Amino acid sequence: MLSQKTANLVFITAILIASAYFAWVAEGFVTSGLLASSGLPSKFFPQLMLALMALCAGRVGYLYLVRGHAGEPELANVFASATEARQGLSMLAVAVLCYAIWRNFGFAPMAVLLGPISLLVMGVRNLFIYITVLALTAFITAVFIYGLGIQLL
Amino acid sequence: MIDSAALISALGLLADPLTMLLLVVGIVLGLIIGILPGLGPPIAIALALPFTFYMDPVPSMVLLLGIYSAAIYGGSISAIAVGIPGTGAAIATVQDGHKMFKSGRGGEALGFSLTGSIIGGLFSAVCLALIAPLLADLAAKFGPREYLAISVFGLVVVVRVAGQSLSKGLLMGALGLFLTTWGLDELNGTERYTFGNYHFYEGLPLVPFLVGLFAVSEVLIGAERAAQRVDFDAASLKVKLPGLKTLVRMKDVIMRSSIIGTVIGIIPGEGAAVGAFFAYSEAKRRSKEPEKYGTGIPEGIVAPETANNATVGGALVPTLTLGVPGSPAAAVLLGALLIQGLTPGPKLFSEEPDLMYAIFIGLFLINILMLFIGLIAIRFAAQLIRVPTSVIVPTVLLLSFVGIYSVSNSFFNVGVLLGAGILGYVVRKLGYSIAPLSIGFVLGPILENALRQSLTIADGSVLEFFNTPIGLTIYAALALTILWGPLTARFKK
Repeated sequence: MLSQKTANLVFITAILIASAYFAWVAEGFVTSGLLASSGLPSKFFPQLMLALMALCAGRVGYLYLVRGHAGEPELANVFASATEARQGLSMLAVAVLCYAIWRNFGFAPMAVLLGPISLLVMGVRNLFIYITVLALTAFITAVFIYGLGIQLL
Repeated sequence: MIDSAALISALGLLADPLTMLLLVVGIVLGLIIGILPGLGPPIAIALALPFTFYMDPVPSMVLLLGIYSAAIYGGSISAIAVGIPGTGAAIATVQDGHKMFKSGRGGEALGFSLTGSIIGGLFSAVCLALIAPLLADLAAKFGPREYLAISVFGLVVVVRVAGQSLSKGLLMGALGLFLTTWGLDELNGTERYTFGNYHFYEGLPLVPFLVGLFAVSEVLIGAERAAQRVDFDAASLKVKLPGLKTLVRMKDVIMRSSIIGTVIGIIPGEGAAVGAFFAYSEAKRRSKEPEKYGTGIPEGIVAPETANNATVGGALVPTLTLGVPGSPAAAVLLGALLIQGLTPGPKLFSEEPDLMYAIFIGLFLINILMLFIGLIAIRFAAQLIRVPTSVIVPTVLLLSFVGIYSVSNSFFNVGVLLGAGILGYVVRKLGYSIAPLSIGFVLGPILENALRQSLTIADGSVLEFFNTPIGLTIYAALALTILWGPLTARFKK
């Protein structure tokens, strides 16, 4: 299983790379006209925050490398079991997929698929739960379309 | 001084049948969401936010305040019945509440939690009505340096109480602040991290970001434990309110917990969970029989439940007067005010006095009505504990998607919701708290503007930040909160 130490070190590396990238992008902020000479430059605050983030990330990374943890129990895993990992990550994929379906094919296909796909990835086999979720989907859709007048379809 | 015209206007607005109906709906919804494990007050408010877009300020605030108060109380029902706190604020209630339930005194335990919650809520509503106008008067004199001091105070405090690692909390706070710098610079119009996309000109939208951070991340975590089932004996869920004699016996615990909850609520960034834990440990520390705490005694329920509901009124003090949220839930509530086109801060009191009075009176009414609704509905509402997580997950996700889309008919906002949800999920899985991230995201614009204006006024001298009595007092209070623990530990040695 993925350990907290490994996952955190990867996350910290990503934060450090992102901080460096965004700090470099901030160097290109251009203020035109009279406002250019007034007050502090626009890059000041983002770069200050990025520096703080990098500093904290460095400290967290150091703690993981030296102590193996940064406050939480040592050698704890990110997921308690393989099933938990599969269900959580699959649900994340379902959320992204449904967003893509909505954007490309419209609301109705997304609304119809969201419930059943979610239940499938969570390993639900009870038909009653599928019916309940579809009924709730229909209810929510009706509230927004007819109750609030939102153009969903 | 009381503005009688505004007070009468507020009473008139609250007497509207639709407003009263929304008040009751808010309490019922809050109870339901609070009972469901994992869905706390910020999520409850976040899910209701899109609906308020179509309402006037008073009904919308009444609905959200009803949800806020009832969700905090609702968390105690699942904590008592199944030992799983519905909200973080009810974690301290589990120890004694669930023990009482297991020993066949579930009805009594629910009675203590309901009574404590209502007393705490009423106390903090009175404090809100008394303190907020005074603080608003004072805040009207605030300049950039004072706002900077308050923002720093709020952020540092929330970082300190969020999780076990200071560095991780600070990293999340800084990330939240950084993300607010995206979009056009408010002071000079410079494009920052817009990536050539006009959607980014106004920055990352507050409401989709907060809903994603709280609700979507919780949905993803909920999906992991979808197979878990809970059951309990519903027969012992008939609420038994404590007698006056019992309440008089516990008056010290109730009074102390009400004060603790309200004060902790007022401190920017602190939430109901901190108030509940602090009140529980204080009650235990001052008790003649501390060893009995955790074995199933009423004081172990009354202390945290009084305090966590007392944080509601407290948290509204900085939120309404300074625009600085008193808790993560108040941060979402702040988003509701922004949706209404209102800017929280001292001017709100002079520009919208009837709304302010409606909030004060509304909060008071909510706590009174919660007693009756609690007595009637607990037994039925508690059945919701049995609702499988697998039903909650897709329903909340769809509600978040549609709710956010409906506010602006924008897929960009749904994208932000999803992005924030994934970010929240990842950081929570890695042991980070999302509280500093959310508070940082709300405080970002205030902090940046205050810092830049302060530095410009002070001609670049950081020492000038302390050259203001109010600012200096806030920094001194901050230093005291940081040094209090180490200093008392040293003296005890």
